[in-house]
Amino acid sequence: MSAPERSSTSTLLDDARTWLLQGRLPVTTAIVLLLATLVVNLVVADNFLTAFNIRSIFANVIPLAAVAVGQTVIVLGRGIDLSLGVIATLSSVVTVSVVETRGLTAALLTGLATGAACGLVNGLLVAVVRLQPIVATFATSFVWSGLALYVLPPGTAAAPRMPDVVVQGYRGAFLGIPNAAWLLALIGASWLVLKRTRLLRHVYAVGGDEHAAFATGVRVGRVQVMTYVVGGTYAAFASFAMLANSGSADALAGGGLTLASIAALVIGGTRLSGGAGGAGGTIIGVLVLQLLTSVLVALRPPTDVRQLIDGLLVILALALAGLWAGRRRGR
Amino acid sequence: MNLTKLRDRVQPGEARVLLRNPVVLSLLVLLALFVSGNLVAPGFASYGSFVNTLRIAAFLGVIAAGQTIVILGGGEGIDLSVGKIATFSTVVVAQVSQGQDERLLLALLTALAYCGLIGLANGVGVAYLRIPPLVMTLGMVGVVTGIIRVYSGGQPEGRAPALLSQMVNATALGGVRGSVWIWLIVAAFTIWLLRRTTFGRRVYALGANREAAFLSGINVQRNLVLLYVASSLYAALGGVMLLGFAGAASINLADQYQLISIAAVVIGGTTLAGGVGGYLGTAVGAVVLQTMRNLLIVLDIPAAGRQVVNGVILIVLLSLYGRQRRLRQ
Amino acid sequence: MAFLEMRGVDKRYGGVVALDDASLSAERGEVHGLLGANGSGKSSLNKILTGVVAPDRATIEVDGVATRIHRPQDAHHSGIAAVYQELSLIPDLSVAANIVLAFESTRLGFVQRRRDRDRAEALLERFAPAFHGGILPIQAPVGSLSPGEQQIVEIAKAIAREPDILVLDEATASLYSAQVEVVSAVVRELRAAGTLVVFTSHRLGEVYDLCDRATVLRNGAVAGSVALAETSEAELVELMVGSLGAPRRRPAAEREEAKKVQGVSGVPRLEVVDLSTDRLEQVSCRVAQGEVLGLGGLAGQGQSEFLNALFGAVRIRHGSVEVDGQAALTHRPKQAVDAGIALVPGDRNRQGLFPVRPILENLTVPSMRRRARLGVLSDAAERAAASRAGDQLQIKFGALDDGVMTLSGGNQQKVVVGKWLLTDPRVVLLDDPTKGIDVRAKAELYEVIGQLTERGVAVLLNSSDDDELLTLSHRVLVFFEGRIVSVLAGDDLTRERLVADSLQVTT
Repeated sequence: MSAPERSSTSTLLDDARTWLLQGRLPVTTAIVLLLATLVVNLVVADNFLTAFNIRSIFANVIPLAAVAVGQTVIVLGRGIDLSLGVIATLSSVVTVSVVETRGLTAALLTGLATGAACGLVNGLLVAVVRLQPIVATFATSFVWSGLALYVLPPGTAAAPRMPDVVVQGYRGAFLGIPNAAWLLALIGASWLVLKRTRLLRHVYAVGGDEHAAFATGVRVGRVQVMTYVVGGTYAAFASFAMLANSGSADALAGGGLTLASIAALVIGGTRLSGGAGGAGGTIIGVLVLQLLTSVLVALRPPTDVRQLIDGLLVILALALAGLWAGRRRGR
Repeated sequence: MNLTKLRDRVQPGEARVLLRNPVVLSLLVLLALFVSGNLVAPGFASYGSFVNTLRIAAFLGVIAAGQTIVILGGGEGIDLSVGKIATFSTVVVAQVSQGQDERLLLALLTALAYCGLIGLANGVGVAYLRIPPLVMTLGMVGVVTGIIRVYSGGQPEGRAPALLSQMVNATALGGVRGSVWIWLIVAAFTIWLLRRTTFGRRVYALGANREAAFLSGINVQRNLVLLYVASSLYAALGGVMLLGFAGAASINLADQYQLISIAAVVIGGTTLAGGVGGYLGTAVGAVVLQTMRNLLIVLDIPAAGRQVVNGVILIVLLSLYGRQRRLRQ
Repeated sequence: MAFLEMRGVDKRYGGVVALDDASLSAERGEVHGLLGANGSGKSSLNKILTGVVAPDRATIEVDGVATRIHRPQDAHHSGIAAVYQELSLIPDLSVAANIVLAFESTRLGFVQRRRDRDRAEALLERFAPAFHGGILPIQAPVGSLSPGEQQIVEIAKAIAREPDILVLDEATASLYSAQVEVVSAVVRELRAAGTLVVFTSHRLGEVYDLCDRATVLRNGAVAGSVALAETSEAELVELMVGSLGAPRRRPAAEREEAKKVQGVSGVPRLEVVDLSTDRLEQVSCRVAQGEVLGLGGLAGQGQSEFLNALFGAVRIRHGSVEVDGQAALTHRPKQAVDAGIALVPGDRNRQGLFPVRPILENLTVPSMRRRARLGVLSDAAERAAASRAGDQLQIKFGALDDGVMTLSGGNQQKVVVGKWLLTDPRVVLLDDPTKGIDVRAKAELYEVIGQLTERGVAVLLNSSDDDELLTLSHRVLVFFEGRIVSVLAGDDLTRERLVADSLQVTT
């Protein structure tokens, strides 16, 4: 249990300033970054404001947004799930395998169940078996990816596909706004609803100070398990978006989403050690990452350099978060 | 002299104590694997097959040495970039040497220098920027992937110099390949480093109780950085050996060692929390893993199944060796 | 029959008796003080009541009903709420959220923010003057409040549960006087409403102000149960200390020795000027070669902080440290070690030992640089050094390669001390070195301290055992709320003076 190291003579202004510097990028930074990348895009890319481009950006962003929101919930509770991207992959192959035989609704439900079940396993490993979240989910990622390979081996002839209506719907628009943008708003709305639940209040408590929460009577183990189940469910939603975007599933894809989701939530102001932040900032972070990618595409550097820059960006985001956290500890 | 033996201490049965030793446990598992393998496919437990297993396990053994040091240092220490760094090392050596023996030494030094810098970056991120090791090294994987692409332009060129291939592949003394002898030297050095140097003591101290280490006058941050530099250097060396074995570099030659290096360390009895264990166990663990892999291939389990088995085994190992304490009241 | 009855409470920690047939009896609608000097057992009794510590034996009756309290949850169920100096607040959550944590008003799983806010506001209203400008910071994250305000929130949180028994254990320690008044007012309201408040504080003024009756513990047993209106401070001190014949004093011969030591050389071994940290205010002292300087006062008044600051383990805001006349940088333990300072930390397991490592390493790591050649250690030399340390301290173990946790508590502590002896320190800081150690090992440690002083080492000793402090120290600095309030030496070095000064009681 820690009390901040401050003298009792500081003013309320100092208090506010200290709070803002508490170990994470403030949401304002994310907003500034978003505006900056928007401007750069407008300048650099000629076809940025076309309907096609805007629709593409939203369509591509949904999977990452969903995974990142799920990851945010887990990280808020002081956990982490390195298998979220792969859970999305597994969920996608399961969903697409079921859709042709049992219809869309059954497929979607099966996909959701898959995501939740994977999350449950992760949660139990962390809360009951007491493994470190990082290593436990890293290990399970191999199990999920193996299962995905089993369900839909790559190179399968006549691989199942999603119904055309889904794919077209995803790429379509409603009231002039791309459907994918509506979906993004839906994800945001789901977060706002989630945030008002008692579960999430307890997630913030557990992430803030596990021992204090326990001493106060919060069911820490149960809360932790639930965060992973929620995360897995969001990963399932991501898989639906992936399926709707491309029409089919790829058992080998999805791994990159995990690291990007962590970068997005860090940029969005969620503290890696839990207890502070939120998915609102994460969604901004996701948009920032997406816009950065499109800047890179527009600048047309050699593909080799692009990957390097991608990697460096992630490290940079982590380093910034680390620097802020270091300042809070007064070093 | 006042050193008195504690007579009233209960002495556990010798056998039970031995069984609790992870190295002994791993050796028993190894034996079991050989026996069951031989039942399924006669010849599995032959000398030739064993020697060949050692030959392949050598690369893992060297890479996992660095991983051992990082994990021993505690604080959730782990290095997920060892595979990528080893790959990078193969690319650098191939490209700098262009297959010529005269340039081998230069190529080696260059690879060690570059990889050492990557390890330095990892260490600084973990020690000074307080980035969790797993996240830092995972991020570094992405960066190194990019570096490899830029450095090699997407197509790694050059071959392993003949001298290197010879050193790694030549047989001597009972059909044992050069890679195994190199591994032996590395193993001896690592065991000596951990047991007989102040650096080794500091590694164990950091892992056993970081706060007590700090209060003993150890410079925690500086030593943390050294851990990751060491890990990258071992990974670089492992990559060089791999290049000698494979003959040419590719963009992901050593990537697979990321997970199994951790598995080898855990099987070897080093706890993920650090402070306990050593390299000897890791070395045996490497042989166990390679044998297990051979067994899975012999049993004809498809790639998908092997992935799952990999993951499940790691989870089981972690459950046995790597659990956290319950929340105290 | 009293509302709260505790009888026959026993508690031992290893070989040390904390409570011996202790008891407590208090009524509804009463503020009952729990008092005692260091080592009296009052803290243990509190913790047994609130379930943090399980007693060896205890009969507890609440409102006539026999209750077993073995975990904090048991205490909660019996209507007991506790407030310690250690907070159980979540820094990033708002004040309101913290107060209602785990008891939120919900509908269909959704938190009713407005209702919670109202509940919190209603509760905090009585504490309004304690906050900056009288404004209740309901929505502010708790972490942004000052320590005193956070303590108020913690108290409010405990009251929110509407307990029958409220235990305030040094809950007012971080409050300044205006805040204390607010809390006092609330306590009086609670008393009027029939709540029993068990109150512990090192400020006797507060005790007299609030408490009706008080139970005084001494050496783990009840020394007396008094009505405060009829008891003077001096009488309280006497109860805490006990009139066991002549006041304890150091034998005349030793006092002469002490005076000799002081004059050995002009330059003091250790000189500290105006040392200030977050919790210390301008602490100064001078320690001669071979002198033992005791740090007295009630537990937690800054003694441990002082030692840690000298060793570089705590951030120093201001002040200077000199060893043998030379300025010593002590921003990090490494620098302190280089300057010849050694610290035997207060928490042996968390700070002093490498639990999973063998005795050999535990003894040799801090000094290994001296024996190593280019970073390489000689096994023989290390073992010889470890044996030397073991001999000096008479550590009893099976083999140097045994895990250090196979040793008894006393021997473990000897290892913690022994490892420093090998570094040839000039100043040794001992932070409660004999806590939880059996009598034999204690005696042996005292011998070691004697050996150290003979060699001219300056020793600073923090001890929660007043007798030990008085026996070993040449002089004692008495701490109170992070400041030195008196220096006891010679004839002043008595138990009565020590306890009186610790409580700021003028006799």
